[in-house]
Amino acid sequence: MRNQQIIRVLLYSLPFPVFLISFFIGPSGTVSFHGLYHFFWSWINGTAGGISPEQALISTILLDVRLPRILLAFLVGGSLAVSGSGLQAIFRNPLVSPYILGLSSGAAFGAALALAYAIIPVQLSAFLFGLVAVGLSYLAARKHKNVSIVSLILSGVIVTGIFTALLTMIQFMCDPFKLQSIVHWTMGNLHNAGWNALTSSWIPMVAGVIILWLMRWRLNVLALGDDEARTSGVHPERGKIIVLIAATLASSAAVSVAGIIGLYGLIVPHMVRMMAGTDNRSSVLLNFLFGGTFLLLIDDFSRTIARFEIPIGVFTMLIGAPFFLYLIKKTNIGWEN
Amino acid sequence: MGELNSAIFIKNLSFSYGLNRVLQDVSVNIESSKLTVILGKNGCGKSTLLRIIAGLLPCKQGEIRIRNQEIRTLTLNKMAKLVGFLGQKHRAVFPFTVEQVVLTGRAGYVNVVPKAKDKEVAGYAMERAGIQDLKDRFYTELSGGEQQLVMIARVLAQEPEILLLDEPASHLDFANQIKLMSLLKELTLGDLTVVAVLHDPNLAFLYGDDFIFIRKGDLLRPVEPVKPWDAEFMQTIYGNKLHSIPYCSRALIVPATETIYYDNR
Repeated sequence: MRNQQIIRVLLYSLPFPVFLISFFIGPSGTVSFHGLYHFFWSWINGTAGGISPEQALISTILLDVRLPRILLAFLVGGSLAVSGSGLQAIFRNPLVSPYILGLSSGAAFGAALALAYAIIPVQLSAFLFGLVAVGLSYLAARKHKNVSIVSLILSGVIVTGIFTALLTMIQFMCDPFKLQSIVHWTMGNLHNAGWNALTSSWIPMVAGVIILWLMRWRLNVLALGDDEARTSGVHPERGKIIVLIAATLASSAAVSVAGIIGLYGLIVPHMVRMMAGTDNRSSVLLNFLFGGTFLLLIDDFSRTIARFEIPIGVFTMLIGAPFFLYLIKKTNIGWEN
Repeated sequence: MGELNSAIFIKNLSFSYGLNRVLQDVSVNIESSKLTVILGKNGCGKSTLLRIIAGLLPCKQGEIRIRNQEIRTLTLNKMAKLVGFLGQKHRAVFPFTVEQVVLTGRAGYVNVVPKAKDKEVAGYAMERAGIQDLKDRFYTELSGGEQQLVMIARVLAQEPEILLLDEPASHLDFANQIKLMSLLKELTLGDLTVVAVLHDPNLAFLYGDDFIFIRKGDLLRPVEPVKPWDAEFMQTIYGNKLHSIPYCSRALIVPATETIYYDNR
């Protein structure tokens, strides 16, 4: 228990240093610590005598390149993690992630469609088709005003299959240059991050996270089972729908700007659970903070380790998965045998 | 009439799953502050009856009044404050701690997160069920008997006036069965109404105040001077050849000797 307290304090405070460090990291060597210090110093003092060209460059890199990217990476990671933990609770299934209902394949198809035929913006198309896929899975599973968890997961798998087939068709038919950008998109990346991407996606992400945060204790009740929830005064269908909508909005927006970051919404909730326990009262906030921080760290890696940017989905797996395996080996969380 | 002292009043209740009629015109009055036991063979409709009273299945034909309020007019929240329900073996998925599980019983009183008062009530409920030592253990790692006691503490934390239990003793060992039944009996002395479906008629006769018998969806009642623990009456319920052995002012039921010798040659 005391160990968990220490880990919790660490998890709560971790975002600040990582945030700061991320400002210094990037392919352009111009912004050293010295340069940053001068930038902030003149910024605070009010720049008398105008801005030098060098300072203008630093200002652009920091405020227009790095800051939006940091915020976006954090929001995307946090949204995916919070959505994953909420969905795992209502599905009463620790194997569930935001992609389980066809979100990823729907979004990938939407993005590919936009990249190949340029009818609507990529981000919007990915967001909409993500929602369409989840909606389809939900409607297919709904019978007599009731949605069984098993049929929902089944229809999610099938809808994923349909959109994957459609995606393959587009990939097969479009020209190689477009194909490359489609493949790149599906690997997950944040290199298009800028204020534009942020302003068009932060509202659904923040709204979804806030709704799930308000539902944080209800998630404990819903996770116990329908009969238990209903007889203690919580409407299980209503609760599940709210969580489902909030999680879908947040993760669709995340996928629409960052592409498919594989398994992120599955493994982060487990990491948080292993480090800080199952109680959703604290784990919603912790998922947001840790999910955000961790993706930010991974993004820092992926934009510095090589000359060119490596898709963030690759590093999520290469860094996240070993850490996950380590936690599984190390911690005792009490899963049923 | 007897409604003054009525916890649950049921009139002409019928229920079917599709074409399969499970309950046929059931009328019964369950009195307050008593331990009422529902007995009958597997699939006779006793769990269905309990689930309809709990509001988990719709009451379409007939009438149910809980504390003199028509069940269809009660909201989920009002129901939760009147009636607590514990279903057959609950399977936990997530490794919540015992305290976290018990706290969820407070759902009807909580807006966003439970407050200090709710934790206090949950703590008291754990004490009642005798599981305060398990507070920080993982629910998933407990034995079946301990899990059952946790779920009982959970419904107690709900502070209902009526407690409905579906086969609460079925996964417990002998010692825990005794512990559980004494606890239920004790709760009725504290003004709680307890209705339990039980498999074991002897457990029922040892601790129960009132008995409801169901056979193929019909309610059966022993008519004076026939007592529920009479072998002939119990034979009509279960269909086996039975023998009764007097115990205290009542009797216990065992298989008739000839049927046992038949099995052993």
